[in-house]
This record gives sequence, C-alpha cells and structure tokens, in this order.
Amino acid sequence: MNNTAQKHDATPLVAESYYAAVTDALRTEAARLLSEGVVTAVIGYKEGRRHGTAGPAIVVDPARANELIFSAACVNNLALYLTKAKKGVAGTGKIAIVAKGCDLRALAGLMAESQIRREDLHIIGVACAGVFGSGADRREPLSAGNLAGKCRECSVGAPEGADIVIGTLPPLPELSPVEAEELARLEAMTPAERWAFWKENFARCIRCFACRQVCPFCYCEQCLCDRNRPQAVETTPRPAGNMAWHIVRAMHLAGRCAGCAECERACPMDIPLNLLNRKMARELKELYGHEAGLTPVEKGPLVIYREDDDQSFIK
Amino acid sequence: MKHDFEPKIVAFVCTWCTYAGADLAGTSRMQYPANVRVLKFPCTGRIDPVFILKAFQKGADGVLVSGCHPGDCHYMAGNFHARRRFAAFRKLLEFVGVDLARLEFSWVSAAEGGKWVEVVTDLTERIRTMGPLAEFKELETEEHWSGRLETAELKEAYNNI
Amino acid sequence: MSRIGVFICHCGENISRTVDVERVAQVTARLPGVAIALDYKYMCSDPGQNLLKKAVAEHKLDGVVVAACSPRMHEKTFRNAARAAGLNPFLCEMANIREHCSWVHEDREEATAKAIDIVKFTVSRVKKDRALAPITVPITKRALVIGGGIAGIQAALDIADAGHQVVLVEREPSIGGHMAQLSETFPTLDCSQCIMTPKMVDVANHPNIKLYTWSEIEEVSGYIGNFQVTVRRKARSVDEDKCTGCGVCMAKCPQKKIDNAFDRNLGTRPAIYVPFPQAVPNTPVIDRDNCTRFKTGKCGVCEKVCGPGAIDYGQQDQLIVEPVGAIVVASGFDLYNIGPKPADSPYEGYGEFGYGAIPDVIDGLTFERLASASGPTGGKILRPSDGKEPKQVVFIQCVGSRAREKGISYCSKICCMYTAKHTMLYKHKIHDGQAYVFFMDARTPGKNYDEFWRRAVEEEEAVYIRGMVSRLYQKGDKVVVMGSDVLVGVQVEIEADLVVLATAVQARTGADLLAQKLGISYDRYNFYSEAHAKLKPVECATAGIYLAGACQGPKDIPDTVSQASAAAAKVMTLFAKDQLEREPIVARVNERNCAGCLACKKVCPYGAVEEKEIRDRNGNLIKTVAYVNPGVCGGCGTCQATCPSKSVELDGYTDEQIMAMIEAL
Repeated sequence: MNNTAQKHDATPLVAESYYAAVTDALRTEAARLLSEGVVTAVIGYKEGRRHGTAGPAIVVDPARANELIFSAACVNNLALYLTKAKKGVAGTGKIAIVAKGCDLRALAGLMAESQIRREDLHIIGVACAGVFGSGADRREPLSAGNLAGKCRECSVGAPEGADIVIGTLPPLPELSPVEAEELARLEAMTPAERWAFWKENFARCIRCFACRQVCPFCYCEQCLCDRNRPQAVETTPRPAGNMAWHIVRAMHLAGRCAGCAECERACPMDIPLNLLNRKMARELKELYGHEAGLTPVEKGPLVIYREDDDQSFIK
Repeated sequence: MKHDFEPKIVAFVCTWCTYAGADLAGTSRMQYPANVRVLKFPCTGRIDPVFILKAFQKGADGVLVSGCHPGDCHYMAGNFHARRRFAAFRKLLEFVGVDLARLEFSWVSAAEGGKWVEVVTDLTERIRTMGPLAEFKELETEEHWSGRLETAELKEAYNNI
Repeated sequence: MSRIGVFICHCGENISRTVDVERVAQVTARLPGVAIALDYKYMCSDPGQNLLKKAVAEHKLDGVVVAACSPRMHEKTFRNAARAAGLNPFLCEMANIREHCSWVHEDREEATAKAIDIVKFTVSRVKKDRALAPITVPITKRALVIGGGIAGIQAALDIADAGHQVVLVEREPSIGGHMAQLSETFPTLDCSQCIMTPKMVDVANHPNIKLYTWSEIEEVSGYIGNFQVTVRRKARSVDEDKCTGCGVCMAKCPQKKIDNAFDRNLGTRPAIYVPFPQAVPNTPVIDRDNCTRFKTGKCGVCEKVCGPGAIDYGQQDQLIVEPVGAIVVASGFDLYNIGPKPADSPYEGYGEFGYGAIPDVIDGLTFERLASASGPTGGKILRPSDGKEPKQVVFIQCVGSRAREKGISYCSKICCMYTAKHTMLYKHKIHDGQAYVFFMDARTPGKNYDEFWRRAVEEEEAVYIRGMVSRLYQKGDKVVVMGSDVLVGVQVEIEADLVVLATAVQARTGADLLAQKLGISYDRYNFYSEAHAKLKPVECATAGIYLAGACQGPKDIPDTVSQASAAAAKVMTLFAKDQLEREPIVARVNERNCAGCLACKKVCPYGAVEEKEIRDRNGNLIKTVAYVNPGVCGGCGTCQATCPSKSVELDGYTDEQIMAMIEAL
C-alpha cells in the first residue's frame, strides 16, 4: 500500500483547461497582491525541471508572478515554509500562500499552535481535484488511476475560510477509499500479524527523517528523538530505534496531523506512514469527536479533557 | 509456588493515590507477586507514553499505569489529561501490533490497598500465562538494517555506477 | 563518577525478616558509582542518621539512597539528615523496600531480588538528581475581598484586625448584601439589621479597610503573594468626599417612582438613592438609567439642593490598580427566578406556579422585606395585591432546589430553616392566621436547628404537609393551591391569601465571568470549587485565592461567617511570613528549545504557564516561548508529558531521572 492507486480508470478527473484557468487566476491574484503591496511574498508552485512536475516557489517580484502554476503535480504542503523551523520566510511581513484544502487544514493547525497568525497571512485557496500519486506517469492527465491515495477520500476539495478561493470544481466521481480499506485490512489482523507488517515496514527505515522535515507540524526546535540526555529513542537505524521513532512520531502528531500525507510521499523507502496518522485521526474522532478542520481550534483533543471522557479501558 | 516464567512488570504510579495505596497494602501486610517494580511520579499527568515504550524496550513483559480516580487528582486535572493521552496511545500500540493485554491502566486510591493487590496480581498472572514479550526483545537484538536492498531501482542505480 | 552511599535499613526485623539485607548491601556496593553500601538496624534512629551523616563526610558522598520504608514516611527525615551533613536534600532518595517489598512478599529469595532491583534503579536515579534550592516568592501583605455581604465583611474585618490592609470591593452602592435584607434570623430570631449594621459601620471606620462600593473587578493578573487587581469604580455621580449623607437630594428628587430592588420591588425609591437607610457608605448614587437629568438633560434638582456641592453629573468610571497578596472571594448568591426564563439564566421558571405572574405569590426574600421593621410595610405583613392581612399563608419549599427536571439537583440548605422562621414571624404578627408548609423533607442539621423547627410545628402551629404542589391559580382574591399530602395519601386544596415560595439559592449571574478573571474553577452550577471538599474547603486550587460564603455553595449565616473567618485565617497564615517558601518541584522551560506551541499552557491546571517574548538586543521579537511561573506551578508535570520536544522539565522528575530508572530495570 502506498500513495499509488490501482492502475485502472484513466478517465481525466478534470479538464486540462481547468488548471490553465486556475493558473491564470492565480498569477493575476499574485501579481495584484505583490504590486499593491498587500503581501511581501507569495508562496506557491512553479513548473519543475522534469515535465509534469511542480515544486515550491517563493515569488516576491510581481513581474515573476507568471511563474506560478497550479496543476495536479502541486503535491507539496506549502504550510511547511511558514513554520519556525524553516525560518527566513516568515517574519518578513504579510505573506500569501497557495493552499489546497489539506494544506489549509495544516495552516489552521499551526494557527491553533501559535506558530503562525492569521493576520500575517493572505490565503489563496485553490479548489483541488486531487494530486498525483507517487509513480504516476506525468504525461497522463489526473485520473482515478493515478490519484494519490489520500485524495481518494478527500473531503476538503474546495477550501473554506481562505481569503480567496480560485477555481470551481466539476462534480467528481465517488472513489473507493483505498487508505480506509487498507486500515480495515490491518485492523482485522491479529496483533502478531500487524506487528510483522510494521516490523517489515519499519525495518526498511533509514532514518533520513524526510518524514519529519516535510511535516508542517514537526516544527520543534530540537526533536525529542535527536536528544541524547536522555536518549528517548535510539538514533541509529536499527529496528528497535526505528519502531520507537515511528511510534513516537505518530503519537506526537495524534490530534494535530492535518492528513496531508507528505510524510508518506517524502519517504524514500515507501513506508505507509500516513496509515498511522489516519488511524490516530480516526481513533480521536471516535473517542472525542475531533477532526482536523479548516478553522483553528484552540485546544486539540489531547490538550483538553472532559470529566466524562471514556475510561472503559481503565480498571 | 515457583513458576517457569516470572514476568517483569513495571508500574508507573502517581505518588498521591496509587503509591499510597500500595503503601497501604504493605502496612496491611497483604501479599502479592514480587514481579512488579514501582516507579513513582507526582501525577499520572507526568507519565509520558515514551516511558511505557521504553519499559517494553528494556524488557518489561507488562506495564501498569495507575493513578487517582477521576476527580481525586491532587493537581485537579492531571489524571484527566493522562486518561486521554493513554486512551490514544494504547490504540496506537494496538495498531502496531502490541497485545494490549500487556498494558494495564487503573485508578487506585490511597485507601484501595486491596485493589492494588488485585490489579497487580491479575496482571502478573495474566502475563505469566502469556509468556515473555518477545517482540520488543527480538527487535532489540536485531543489529542490522534489514531493508530490502533488492529493489529494481537500487539495482539499476548500482549497475550504473 | 558518582559517589553514592547506600544505606539499607533492617527496620528492626520488618525488612530483614524477608529481605537478606546483607546481600542487598553486598550486591549494591558493587554497582558503578556506589562508594559505600551498608546495612543498619534502624536507619531512622539517631545513631542511624549519624551513620549516614558520617558516611557523607568520610566518603565525600554526592548522593544518598536510603533503602527503608516508604518515602511518604521518612523522606523528610533522611533529607534533613543529608542537609545536616552538607548534602543538598534533593540528592537523597529513598528506596521503598518495606511497604513495597518485605511486607508484601514472603519468599526470601524473591523479596531480596526485588529489593536489590529497587535499590538499583534508585541509585540510577540519584546519579541524575540535581541539587535544588527552595523557591521563595515575596508576599504583598494586602488582601482583596470581593463582595461586601456578611462573608466579605467578616473576612475583611478579621484580616484588618490582624493588622493587614484590606481592599473590599462591593458591586452595589452599599455593603450589607442579602443579610441586610433579612428581617430576623434563625434559630434565635434576632434582628438581622441589629447584628449586621454594627459590623458594616466597623468596616467603614476601620483604618485598615479601603472600601470600594459601586465597584467591580475588571481584571486580575499575577499570582499568590503578587496579584494586580484592577477595580472599576463605576461613576456614582456623587463626590464621596464632599457628600455628608444629609439626604436632601433624595428627598427633593422629583423622580420617585422607581422600583426599589432592595425591597424586592415592593416599594419605590428616587433616582438618586441609597439602597436602605443604614447604608454604608451613606453616600447616594444616581441611577443614570432612570434619572431625568441623564435621560432628557432637563432637571438638575439634586445639584441645586446639595449644600456641599457633591453632585457631579460628569463623573466617569475610574480604573484603579491595587496590588494584593491574597484574594477572598465572597461574591454571594442569587435567588432562583420562577418567572419566565431570563436570557442569561440556564434555568426554566415554574409554569405551574404561574411564572411569577400572580401578585400574591412571592418568594422568601420578599417575605423577609414584608416582615422587616424597616421594610416597605413597616413590618406589617400585608399582601402585595391589595395590602390586606393574609389569613391563610401557604409556604412551598424546594422551589427550584432538588428539582432535577429544572436542571438543579442540589439542596439549597437554608430554606427549611427560613420557612420555619417565616411561619413563626407570621404567627407572631398575625395571631389568628394559619401557615401551611408543603415540604419534601425537613432538613435541620445545625445547633438548635431541629429544636427551632419543632417549635414552629409544635408550638407555633404551622401545618406541615409532606408533598409537592402541582398547581397554583388565582380564584377571585384567593390563590388556590393544589397539592398532595403523600403521608396521608390525599389531594389537598387550600385557598390561600398569600403564597411564599422558598426558591433555590443559585450562583450569581456572571459568577463564571468573575471566576474566569480570577482563574479559579467552578462547578456545573457556577458555584466556585474549593481545592479539596474536605481538607481544603476554603482554598481555591489557584494558590492565594480563598472562598467564603454562598459563592462556593448554599450556606446559612453561621456557616458563612465560619468560612469567612477560616478564609481570613488562611490569608493571615500566608501573611505571617515575609516570603513564601515552597518545595522546588516545579517545571522549568528550556527557552532555547521551546517552539512556543503552548500546549503546556493549555494543559496546565494551575494557569502557571505564561507567554514570554524573547527579543534580540534591538528589541526585535525572536520568538515567543512558554514561561512557567514557579510561584504558581503545582508540580504535576503534565506540561512535560505533553510537550513534544520536552522543552519543559519538572525538577525532581526529569526525563533523565526517569529514563535512568527505566534503563536500570
């Protein structure tokens, strides 16, 4: 299981003209914001070096606003560039950021955690039909066959709460939720089978920490797992340390993760990391009715309590 | 009575309720299996899930977390926060394949010496029948990175060198 | 390398009977970092402690483990011994091998092995212990008392008499509170005003009490010993320094038709008024909502007639900051309103009682005003509708109290007694009248309380009917009361001239808002929560804030006064020292690592975490981090378990100490 969906159904989800129109509107808005001095920079996407790819772009000159694009290749969660751990962008004045629905959830989470302030941001929401999964042939248009797994069960295609929303999506087909199905498959296993599944997956981990670097919520100035007095998690990529690292990471993201699945996309070893995040998100929804949303919630599910919280697991 | 397997049980307890409850079991000369090692915390709110993980990694066959009943917390709300934290954490452990029968949570007040004995005895006996927690111990002994090096991409890259 | 000393106690035979203490000493002596390990018969005895002290000096120990009983028993003893030997007391730890080992296990092998383990992980912990110094917090020896009812008055007088400055803040124009409205008090039937007004005058005259009436709490910041309280002095429109209290303004005010809230709207008052004749201070206030001058700009009679020229129409609200070291909250209660549900109340009224629309259905406090010699009827009990003497009066208890269907399940505590009192007051004034009481239970615990109630029933001939009233309705000039007598099992119908409802005591409207300003907790009824129901009944969980009176829960006058004096005693205890010294088990933030997510602030039960801005030398903001105020921190450590990067650490229970123990297992 990874971000690549089954290879079938190549019907385009949206017409190419949709991305062209969104790109145009995006460039116009970015140029206006920069030339009117509303913002000092626009964080968006530009064409990648290889055909059909895109990467993050920070535009400060209105004349270069036409470098910005939006397409199904715009996979990155740009909220990452606003957090403290990635200094240099923030703190230079009001900044515009291009945000898909899942990115906007990350922005909302970061606002709730005092990492960014709404008044420092101009959010350009883009209605998104989904992004390419890993391994997708970029010459083909976005279809149910090459869509990222997370996008198959996306509920925030048209982001709300942005300063402006660009694009109106055509009706999209209902797709089978492959991540939820995978989750159900794992949950149906015995503990020993699950342990074997994860052991095999985590054993591949090389501790490159790409999952951490790409996560908008891993903004700690020093990661607990980099500390050695005391050493909470072994740092070498040995199986024991790997297991501990992924458990700690999932726990620290529980109730905070916005579900952008960037960790899984960035993982060079194809570890299905978003499964852990999705599992925790679902448990916290079941236990406390919490869901990562588009508006900041001051206190997440694990920093608040109710006196009548479930305690059926406690003797 | 001697057993074939004596499990190692680690208990993380708060000082105000459960530690005092265990003291009461002592002053009342109640008897329970000697497998448990008690670590004292000011409050269950201080107990980090990382400690439970560490205990399993360091050879514990079972872990007990115990504190004040809801509403009795010396610090008002520490146990409420702990309750949510552990409700989430046990779900995570279960998902990665840890048998939750090895992890027990309880509220034991300073007056519940008997309950302490019962909780510790039940957990010890349960884990005795389950046998040692092999998973973490095996992981601990595996020294080598066991990733699959035989992927097509890697092979191609290797051949290109 | 550490130099740890391990001392294993036999505790007579309590430990050595099941634990091979010599072996424990032999094994632990070989642990890395252990300089000496020895066993002794009674470590807590003088020779035992001397052994420890001598060893610290001889072996230059930098840590001590005493393997003996529970730290709850003797930790202080051994830490003091360590201190006496020149070692920081927090470098001395106990290994509990008695309550947790020798007393609960019979097998000598197992118990010994366990004891060795316990000593082992305790040794690992001690190696990571850091020397800690007690924390001292300076104390501003001034107290704030919020509320000028009997609770606030008593607390203020007690603290002031002890020689400390007190700031007393009252929302109304006069102190006195509900007690000033009462006619006579149970169980002695002495006149409320007679016992109350001298205390009010004492407050006014006390050199240590600064009284702010017609004032409210705007903002509270700071912590125990060091609060900053902003008081809003609402514009009185009368200069308190100039006013002599002659009352001419009130007499001459042309607008006299304003409902007098103090008299439960039975009488009227002028637009410039004092709530009642014995008011303290005796300075009137202009009710700007009803004053012709403020409404139309035309009038100004009071200004013309005022000899000293005290009227000041242009007066503005004033904000005054008062530094105080302790706060007593005595903000009192409100009564349940049976009328239609007010917008700001969570509680429904009583449709079956006519939603308060029948004029001769009144509440108990209104009855107090009717019975009061200084009330609107001069102490004659006359019914509101036509001013006639009621010959049959029905009292209904538990109106709103113990009424789960209305959302209140608690007992209001005072109604049984005051209803019994009402039947007596009524009988004493209208000898040929008959009082009926509908009640669920008569709850009369208290000194001379049951005797008082029996007197109402047996001597004063009040008829008590056990059961609730199902309906009230107006029939001619009577109020028909329909209810049931559950003891006899019959329906009862009484044609009453007057019905008095013992309505529930509830928290003040806005009690939650005041609690939020103070940072104290409250229950689901908005009554303020004490720190411990039994052992800390007047303390709030927030250090330095104390509770007195009905703001904490329904209470009668004796209980209120006791609690007020108790709260005052707590304040005086705090003020008895110049500095507050506390155990240094508090959380500290590593500002370099803190990313400022403030999760710690969100979980802190004490509100001890603040935001702190880190700036460079040019004053530019680098980042905002968390800061734990050591004076407020309770030491639970929830913050550290919550912090993803462990940038906040609880001294005495650091991750290093705990991990060291786990690793030694």
